[in-house]
Amino acid sequence: MYKYDEYDHEIVGARVAEFRDQVNRRLKGELTEEEFRPLRLMNGLYLQLHAYMLRVAIPYGTLSSDQLRRLARIARVYDKGYGHFTTRQNIQYNWPKLVETPDILQELADVEMHAIQTSGNCIRNVTTDQFAGATAEEIDDPRIYGEIIRQWSSLHPEFSFLPRKFKIAITGAEKDRAAVKWHDIGLVMKRGPEGEPGFEVLVGGGMGRTPVIAKTIRDFLPEPYLLSYLEAILRVYNEQGNRDNKYKARIKILVDAIGADEFARQTEAEWEKMKDQPIDVPAEEIARIRSYFAPPALPVLDAQDDAVDALAAKNVMFKAWLKNNTHPHKVPGHVAVTISLKPAGGIPGDASDSQMELIADLADQYSQGDVRVSHEQNLILPHVAWRDLADLWTALDGAGLGFANAGLVSDIIACPGLDYCSLANARSIPLAQELSNRFADLTRLEDVGPLKIKISGCINSCGHHHAGHIGILGVDRRGVENYQILLGGSGEEDATKAELLGPGFGADEIADKIEQVIAVYLDIREEDEHFLAAYRRVGPAPFKEALYAAA
Amino acid sequence: MPLLSLSGIHPTDWVEFADDQPVDEGAYAAVSAARLAEDGDTLFAAAGQVAAIIDGDADGDVLAPYIDRLAAIWINFKAFNDGRGFSLALRFKRDMGFKGEVRAIGKVIPDQAQFLARSGFDSVEVAEERVAAFETALSRYTSFYQCTINGDMSVAHRRHMRADKGAA
Repeated sequence: MYKYDEYDHEIVGARVAEFRDQVNRRLKGELTEEEFRPLRLMNGLYLQLHAYMLRVAIPYGTLSSDQLRRLARIARVYDKGYGHFTTRQNIQYNWPKLVETPDILQELADVEMHAIQTSGNCIRNVTTDQFAGATAEEIDDPRIYGEIIRQWSSLHPEFSFLPRKFKIAITGAEKDRAAVKWHDIGLVMKRGPEGEPGFEVLVGGGMGRTPVIAKTIRDFLPEPYLLSYLEAILRVYNEQGNRDNKYKARIKILVDAIGADEFARQTEAEWEKMKDQPIDVPAEEIARIRSYFAPPALPVLDAQDDAVDALAAKNVMFKAWLKNNTHPHKVPGHVAVTISLKPAGGIPGDASDSQMELIADLADQYSQGDVRVSHEQNLILPHVAWRDLADLWTALDGAGLGFANAGLVSDIIACPGLDYCSLANARSIPLAQELSNRFADLTRLEDVGPLKIKISGCINSCGHHHAGHIGILGVDRRGVENYQILLGGSGEEDATKAELLGPGFGADEIADKIEQVIAVYLDIREEDEHFLAAYRRVGPAPFKEALYAAA
Repeated sequence: MPLLSLSGIHPTDWVEFADDQPVDEGAYAAVSAARLAEDGDTLFAAAGQVAAIIDGDADGDVLAPYIDRLAAIWINFKAFNDGRGFSLALRFKRDMGFKGEVRAIGKVIPDQAQFLARSGFDSVEVAEERVAAFETALSRYTSFYQCTINGDMSVAHRRHMRADKGAA
């Protein structure tokens, strides 16, 4: 993975000193709260319902074991002993003290991490495939470009005060695990006619109260021009994005208003002016960064192991885990392992300090010291030998981390909701806990099969309900929590917006209603048909009938 | 209010004239972009030098006809978190080739000092009590991830110049 050089250390160190100075000036009254707010947000510090919240960047979701140990230490020393992994591959701490945040940032800088631009109206952490560098499906490792974009977008003089937040995602595989079509800019790595590297460029995706799927504005952008093209897009957006109404300020609204063709035309015109200026990095720099992401030298091994088979024969959870929580690796005899942070009754994405430390140790032992965060709020060990799986799972299971539900109905994405968030209208976490308890039984889980439930506690849709096979949106109905059901969304390469099924339900009945939705699916499905395929075949009618007709 | 130099140039002293106020003969006159658009040739004939005052959210093209004759452009930030002023400075300096002084006025804050300098601003008007904070902020970073119009080279480029030297 990428290692800071003297320049990276210098810049991140200066950012810590700058933030310390900003906190001091705020405490002395030299900065107003109005002025301090965007400054602290640009360093990931929110003021939530009960306390400050610090969001730490995990660039393109990649962590070393030492970095994960430091995150565990911060959870223990500065927080209540846990951290929360987010849908943007970051980690949040819910209880830091304002005066201690500069010290936390220093602890992060010591292990080459930061909280730069994890919030605010600026370019946020670039996200990607959690299996990058491991999956056989990719044409190249997208993290190379993730790191190039991280550097270019950090403290950008022209784009630090945009109309609204700005999110970029990149995938190296056609199979899209990064939800690129739901981002302000989505990049899909491609090969050109001569086999040269490049990107399909999509703009204007986003969730929130106006869900929009991104549109392609360029079929193929050659690799050397990545940054100048991004800069052209940002220039058009910075000048023309709506600044009067925050709900109309995302780039998706601008692209919709002027049309994707016109947006593309303006971007190309800007790009013509700037493509030959020194915006893009030199080829030697791409090569330098690429060298940090060289694939680990893994030996080709047998994809069969007696100890694995023996444990699978006597332990149904392990057998299911082998099927659900492992992903094929480029190198035969290896897999990428998904560690579920979604135990029955748990808070999706939460990990304790000791769990993080255990995973760091296991990463050293079994996965080249490499850990990933997925946007589905799980942790991944990307390079594990098949023959180590029995030992690895046994160690994980001992710490409550062996649940075999990756990609299944209890692998729920949920935002922090009204338990923490000052924007929320309804709680998300208790509903996720209730649903995962109802689907705790492994046989039932596996019978239902792949199904993505995504829960947001307000219209801002941090829980990605628009992209859920089953999306749940919490709203405030005359002071009472109410939950709407949406069906048929997808965050993958076949991205679709979930459709609202009908009027919402109270907190006491929503879990029953979700069970009814799943019962309808089990009733109508053909053969091995997954939930999404079944919904796409039959549409909302049978679900509506089951949920509303009886009433 | 005190003026700070961001680019090393010595900021010029100007006399600001309201839209309904006649411009003194030979004056260093700062006038609104709107007035310039209406009555530009008269103003250039009367004044010694002309500076245009334009809001950060305005269309920079209104100054295009005068870009070679203007001595300075003041970009007014109506809110510090409206980043259009940064793009506007680059429009003048990079796209239109403006060679004069670009000055930031209005609601900018010390923490933006280097963003301003690196977007092509030459000077900034600062409240007296914030001069020290501005000066601290101006020397905060010495390495940058972008090449910018003020001559800062990105570390992505510096890394390989250094390597070339090492190899030579």
